[in-house]
Amino acid sequence: MIDLALVLEWVIKSLVVIFMLLGGFAYLTWFERRILARMQTRVGPNRAGWQGLLQPVADAVKLVFKEELIPARADKVIFVLAPILTVVPATVLAVVIPFGTQVILFGRQVNLAVADINVGILFLMAVASVAVYGIVLAGWSSNNKFALMGGMRSTAQMISYELALGLSFVLVALMADSLQLSEIVEAQRTMWFVVLQPVGAIVFLIVTLAEVNRAPFDMPEAEQELAAGFHSEYSGMKFALFFMAEYQKMIVISIIAVTLFFGGYLGPFIGRFPWLGPVYVLGKVVALLFGMVWIRATLPRIRYDRLMDLGWKVLLPLVLGLVLITATGILLADEFGNSLVWSIPVVSILAGFLTVGLVDRSLRRKFNALR
Amino acid sequence: MTIPVSTETLDLAAKFPGIVTPDEREGYSGWIVKADELAAFAASLRDDLGYDFLSSVTGVDYLPEKKLEVVYHVYKTTGGPGLVFKVQLPRKKPEVPSLTPVYPGADFQEREAWDLLGIKFTGHPDLRRILMWEGFEGHPLRKDWKEPFYEEDIKPYSSRWPEGKHSYAEDRNPFNDNVQFPKQFDPEKWVPEGDAALYGALAEYRTTDEDGLDTDHIVVNMGPQHPSTHGVFRAVITLDGEDIVSMKPVMGYLHRNHEKIGERNTYLHNMPYTDRLDYFCSMTNNHGYALAVEKLTGIEVPERTEYIRVIMDELTRIQNHFILIGMLLNDLGAYFTPALYAFEERELILDIFEAVAGSRMMCNYFRFGGVARDVTPEILEKVSALAFDRLPRKADEFDRLLTENEILVSRCKGVGRLSSEDAIKYSMSGPSLRASGVPYDIRKADPYSIYDRFDFDVAVRYNGDTYDRYLIRLDEIRQSLRILQQAIRQIPEGPIQTGKSTYLTKTPAGESYGRIEAPKGELGYYLVSNGTGNPWRYHVRAPSFINITALESMVVGGKIADFVIVFGGIDVVLGEMDR
Repeated sequence: MIDLALVLEWVIKSLVVIFMLLGGFAYLTWFERRILARMQTRVGPNRAGWQGLLQPVADAVKLVFKEELIPARADKVIFVLAPILTVVPATVLAVVIPFGTQVILFGRQVNLAVADINVGILFLMAVASVAVYGIVLAGWSSNNKFALMGGMRSTAQMISYELALGLSFVLVALMADSLQLSEIVEAQRTMWFVVLQPVGAIVFLIVTLAEVNRAPFDMPEAEQELAAGFHSEYSGMKFALFFMAEYQKMIVISIIAVTLFFGGYLGPFIGRFPWLGPVYVLGKVVALLFGMVWIRATLPRIRYDRLMDLGWKVLLPLVLGLVLITATGILLADEFGNSLVWSIPVVSILAGFLTVGLVDRSLRRKFNALR
Repeated sequence: MTIPVSTETLDLAAKFPGIVTPDEREGYSGWIVKADELAAFAASLRDDLGYDFLSSVTGVDYLPEKKLEVVYHVYKTTGGPGLVFKVQLPRKKPEVPSLTPVYPGADFQEREAWDLLGIKFTGHPDLRRILMWEGFEGHPLRKDWKEPFYEEDIKPYSSRWPEGKHSYAEDRNPFNDNVQFPKQFDPEKWVPEGDAALYGALAEYRTTDEDGLDTDHIVVNMGPQHPSTHGVFRAVITLDGEDIVSMKPVMGYLHRNHEKIGERNTYLHNMPYTDRLDYFCSMTNNHGYALAVEKLTGIEVPERTEYIRVIMDELTRIQNHFILIGMLLNDLGAYFTPALYAFEERELILDIFEAVAGSRMMCNYFRFGGVARDVTPEILEKVSALAFDRLPRKADEFDRLLTENEILVSRCKGVGRLSSEDAIKYSMSGPSLRASGVPYDIRKADPYSIYDRFDFDVAVRYNGDTYDRYLIRLDEIRQSLRILQQAIRQIPEGPIQTGKSTYLTKTPAGESYGRIEAPKGELGYYLVSNGTGNPWRYHVRAPSFINITALESMVVGGKIADFVIVFGGIDVVLGEMDR
């Protein structure tokens, strides 16, 4: 029964999620710049406010007041539409994610998720794919060759990695026996899925890096090659929207990774204090984000054609194999006793090592042929 | 008065009767070749006598004699002194056969001589202006060409010295007399004639597939504003998807006619200008120039100064190579971390430069027959702390962190290959030449200063790809450290300047070519003196400029991402390339 209070609850929860993402985006930039600086023997932004905490505000003010340029022969409608099309899916993604179980607030039972729909994973897949349109259209409408190439790269990259991403969702769905995110988290009460399927978790993390165009898979913007790729011609707030989308996607994809593989809101004492749920999510997300920043500070970019090779020839077969292994393992556990569930991680790790070995061998061969 | 030793034993006049005569002017050396027979003569030099490396091609305008002279310096990549030969041309109609069929490395240098001196190289495949803009009128290095704010031929100008009453050029109306246009020039209607030639030089390609769709290549202008061209270099690239079909470099956006300024200046005036050539390595730039002037004047350099010079040169090389590795990784997409690690080491070396010269980058430290200030024991202590402890450790750290990195290896190996034959052919010099398997290092092959006293090896790698060009930098850092360690141990006490240092160095008439192994390659200075305090001709053989000749053959067939790292791996600085 939909009453006023329920509508109000939804609105408030949506606003909380949106502001959480906006604030998270702002402070993620600060977080990234400080961490990068520490890793690069620098200090990083520390002038605006205590420890530079007001830096995001200063950046926002600067970007808002910057002149917005639209190239003379750009396709103006699409050019304006593209940043919006990129940022909206990044925000919408977060609605299905559970941040905790239930808390009592003002005498109401409140679910700590905006919309805990029963096809959560499908929703994630569908919405995440929409975001690429923004990038492609931005590249197309800019009337700039570098932007076009950035857009093309991003399409190719998305198509190649969407498959592996979808299949790693399948892994989770198999293990949890559900597509609903809250049930997936609940299924991890005994054991996080990262323990049961460690290789799957690694593949998922690699693929998400490609999905959000982060280093070392930041082809579409590849500064050294394509100037700034798809957003070469964007300035001011439109550029900020792209920037925002990228960082929001980073946050959201980390939350998804936490939900799928790292036990979501689960942690000690969660049963007694449901309010700890969001705190645990935050902690785990910050850890994953730190990993992303660390990777960016460490690794050079993979070349575009090798990226495609990696997606199609390595990750896709590997994750297909993992699906097979997981399904067989679950079946064996059902038939012959629960302890056989451990065959999943063991065989998966073997498959992972086999893949690494094969890749290593093919690279070695290639280089020896060059000598 | 440089007299390459080989000319004593080599009698080219007897070998090529009627074609070659010895250059018998006072202070000059080498041979004068007849213009018609030049190509055959050069081919014979290369094939029969083994002078396979064309170091420098330039021209001199002898206005009083109404002659233009083209000067060629050739060397053997097996080592030893070089050979100078010249072609004298009438000033009215200077035409000389192009040497690009014999030495493809002459390509850009001949274009430069055409651009700046108006010497026509017949048979050159693509004789366009290279440093000046396409609509420029005249050839600025001709002695009768006058710049917009022309006052006098040589400095010090009488309006400024000794009375010191002068007006700044900027105070005059800048819009009337500071730009020279050809007659009837209309900027609205002007179409750069070079563009048609430039884009025409790129391979034409258009196909229709079976569905009747036209397929065309994309022409992309990388630069002059682009994050990875290390300055204002422009590469016009034709792409088939992401594959490079053809590439033409365009340069000169940073051109300031260094050589014309140099010919107005006195000898000492030029020293700080050389800092601005390769602004990463001002010490080595100073050294090359000091060497050329010292050869011309015959000034001896004191023992201690030679050691100081070697120490400064090797420190420069180390910091340059660290930066190269850092920036190469940056070109690969590593987000500034290796670059900043490299900058950390560079800062420590720059601290030493600041301590000895007073400036971190624009050192202006060398003098003719000496250096500007002595190195104190405290500074030497700092240098030895770096050379014995920190830098070897850091070189190993770079090696450990980067060399085995899968992404680095897979992106650099086999990319931008240059065979040793091609490297010599295109006059590639420095680390890029040695990475192609040619163990040619001027410090060993034709030693200058006191490099023959040190025990070090010439780093060489054999694959000629970008990975080897990365590795050779690490090797060279280690060899430089060896030299540095020996120099610190052996440095004697003593004076640092021969005679009194003067503002006005007078030189006897003649020519000299001083060349050193700069971090980026062979840096040469060609000087012609007419016996006054100002050089009559001042030419810089810039390694960044000439090493780019081979770029086209290295990147075609690769990906656009490879272009960036091949270009980064050659190591260029635009201040030197465009001069």
